[in-house]
Amino acid sequence: MKMDEFIPKLFEAAKEAGFGVAEAYVLEDESFKVVAMNGEITQYSSHQTRGLGLRAVLDGRMGYAATEAFDDAAIAQLIRGAKDSATYCEDESEQFIYDGREPVLQLSLTGEDARAEDKIAFALDMERIAKAYDPRIAQVGYDTVVTGKVKVRIINTHGMDKQYEQSVCGAYLQPIAREDALTSTGMEIRFTRDFSALDATALAQAAARQAVEMLGATPVPSGSYRVAIQNLAMTDLLETFSPAFSAENAQKALSLLRGKEGETVAAPCVTIIDDALRADAFGSRPFDAEGVPSRRNAVVEQGVFKTFLHNLKTAKKDGVQSTGNASKGGYAGSVRVSPTNFYLEAGEKSLDELLADIGEGLLITEVEGLHAGANAVSGDFSLLSKGFVVEGGKKGRAVEQITIAGNFFEMLKGVQAVGSDLRFPSGGFGAPTVDVGVLSVAGTEEKA
Amino acid sequence: MKEYARDILDAALATGGDFAEIFYEDQRTNHLQLLGGKVELINSGRMHGAGIRVFNGLNAIYAYTNDTDKEGLLRCAQQVASAVRAQRKGTLRAKAFTVAELPPPHVYRQWPSQTDTKKKLDYLRAADAAARGVSAEIEQVSCTLMDSEQDVVIINSEGLYVEDTRVRTRLACVAIASDGKEKQQGHEAPGALMGYELFTARVDAAKVGREAAESATLMLHAPECPAGVMPVVIDGGFGGVIFHEACGHSLEATSVAFGMSEFSGKLGQQIAASCVTAVDDGTLPNEWGSLRVDDEGMPTTRLVLIENGMLKNYMIDKLGGKRMDMAPTGSGRRQGYANAPTSRMRNTYIAAGMDDDREMIATMGDGLYAKKLGGGSVDPATGGFNFAVSEGYLVKDGHISTPVRGASLIGKGADVLMQIDRVGREMRMAQGMCGSISGSVAVNVGQPMIRVKRMTVGGRA
Repeated sequence: MKMDEFIPKLFEAAKEAGFGVAEAYVLEDESFKVVAMNGEITQYSSHQTRGLGLRAVLDGRMGYAATEAFDDAAIAQLIRGAKDSATYCEDESEQFIYDGREPVLQLSLTGEDARAEDKIAFALDMERIAKAYDPRIAQVGYDTVVTGKVKVRIINTHGMDKQYEQSVCGAYLQPIAREDALTSTGMEIRFTRDFSALDATALAQAAARQAVEMLGATPVPSGSYRVAIQNLAMTDLLETFSPAFSAENAQKALSLLRGKEGETVAAPCVTIIDDALRADAFGSRPFDAEGVPSRRNAVVEQGVFKTFLHNLKTAKKDGVQSTGNASKGGYAGSVRVSPTNFYLEAGEKSLDELLADIGEGLLITEVEGLHAGANAVSGDFSLLSKGFVVEGGKKGRAVEQITIAGNFFEMLKGVQAVGSDLRFPSGGFGAPTVDVGVLSVAGTEEKA
Repeated sequence: MKEYARDILDAALATGGDFAEIFYEDQRTNHLQLLGGKVELINSGRMHGAGIRVFNGLNAIYAYTNDTDKEGLLRCAQQVASAVRAQRKGTLRAKAFTVAELPPPHVYRQWPSQTDTKKKLDYLRAADAAARGVSAEIEQVSCTLMDSEQDVVIINSEGLYVEDTRVRTRLACVAIASDGKEKQQGHEAPGALMGYELFTARVDAAKVGREAAESATLMLHAPECPAGVMPVVIDGGFGGVIFHEACGHSLEATSVAFGMSEFSGKLGQQIAASCVTAVDDGTLPNEWGSLRVDDEGMPTTRLVLIENGMLKNYMIDKLGGKRMDMAPTGSGRRQGYANAPTSRMRNTYIAAGMDDDREMIATMGDGLYAKKLGGGSVDPATGGFNFAVSEGYLVKDGHISTPVRGASLIGKGADVLMQIDRVGREMRMAQGMCGSISGSVAVNVGQPMIRVKRMTVGGRA
């Protein structure tokens, strides 16, 4: 049945089943993806889907259930699921369904899409340009164009009914360079709102250059090195350790930052911001998953830890205001806390200036295996990395098959300088290149 | 759906495609979480939709929708057809359905939908209580139960019409030990292709909680692992993730077909030490990574990947098979209707060998004994992999000594396979979720205890 018929029926059934307030979170999703290889389109997919997550309060407890089917059976399943969920749940904290009827902030989160033919041509172009860049580019993997649009609507029995739309266009590729027995890869990715802002030549050449530069990379001897982490790798690290800044994790004893508000947790040059209102990144939205209006939050300001990120429930527990960071993974599931556009604020120095400061050390351009080699709770990481030797203040030979190891929270305190090259590669996370001071590196036998 | 399925396939083929397929799915899931001994969350969901795929030569077009009535599927089929740029005309029609001979279904005894929420919570409470009983340093325990009943219908233009139901249940326990300054984590997560008979047939919930907590406590007091190149003994069970990451992914048609894998074109050649035999088996009864039929409707197989060091087979899906001109191996898998299938692992393991566990440690000199591994990742183009050692011990002069934390193992798949010099006699398996281009799928990894002569160990000391 139609959504406008389904939701009132669902709310009616919830009321009959004894629920107090009820809320539906509806996500409509459209996406398109095309992958090219060897001059042909090898993957092409598109979809339109919708899902609904129900939250409803029974005797002060929240029940959850979700569906992608919209028939009478789905209503019965939602009510039964939410009832079970609320009945057995032992979370004693106060539950909120937001009665927010303020007007929705107007953000510009949509852009001009392109015709399917143009996206196909773009993917083919990227592959061709990458291969033409250097004869050693043997193949181009993951040569992809994606576009997507989502529409979020939150409607509840208090009378709140708000929605927003956002869209993105993105492209990425991973060229593979081969020379004799050597193989290396490069990777570039770019997301924008308007498809026309994507530049196939710039993307393909940057990715191909990285692949060729990495040919012949070797490990360095194990030891301690002064290290700069380049913007994309730094973004990956920041994302991996971002759960430590969630009040939900702190309240569950899953964050080492618990109780440290107001304390110095990083070097004075480190400022970390969460700002859903920033339209040039891709975690933007006018209101969060509870309907609370978004705002800009300084999480770490000049090294001082200012605030955890909150939703209504965690804010109430800590006696503060919600920071507008309620989140849902898709339409289903409970309301959690997540960052929106979460980034390390840019500093003044260019990459060259950072390398000149380092003198002798390493520039890390890529870290891998974050889901395994990094622990968001302890802050420990030990990660397979690629990059370059820094010699005489300049980028030198390529390095691979090393691990960099340290503790993220210690590393924040040891930051020497923050670069000016802040980027948001594909989502809400962003960082500039950072001179993190000294890290432990495992490679070949100990250096002398 | 059977009555009009051929109309939909015909619509998908109308613009010259040479193969069309419908994958219909209705999946009911439950997710229950106990945190700090209290029921934190109970969530249920119903995923419902269908994906339609058309081949045009060696390329595939895919679209999916939640709208699974005849009109919705027709719209989806037309959308796919409109993207096919075939040279030929759309004259091909779907064949009449033939009755396929299928292997017997896996037996499910205690269906999740027939099991009380209360009873499910009892298993969680048992795991939680056991974990918290391990030591006063256990600061937090999170236990989750996930169950799912997935009905699929797979229909294609070659006359295939297959229905199947997959039931999976898994318990995961994470325990965190803290001394006030530092935190360490232990993790256990057994599961199977079955319902709640999991807890009578295979898994002792309390033991799961206890082991997670013991590992966290042990690691809290462990010093940092030294970095360097050394011999490494990797224990059985989840240690098999080394093979999964370092070699398994590179043997999937996805990377082999385009020559992107280091093992492309190496069938019949020696790619591993002669003590290594490796298998990917989707047929094992009720194992986590097993399937009666794969997500393209083909019965799964037991596939020998490597025999005494020689490369014997790749894991091949239907499209990969066309691209490689080889037969598919029942390895086409996908997370759900929102993903086009591709070649994936099922239950992948290094088979039992001839060596004695104690001997391989006694004769290794100084090195690392990796008792438990965390996850890892691999770049199929270079074979470069890394994975975390969640519980490790230094070995001094052939004796296991201090536990160490923070170690990671790095290397290249091809090198490490050749460097294996001992394979133990007792193969064990463990459960994981493997993420790749067709989404997240249930897989087993496994191996007996093995020894790698030289490996780079990442660590902080």
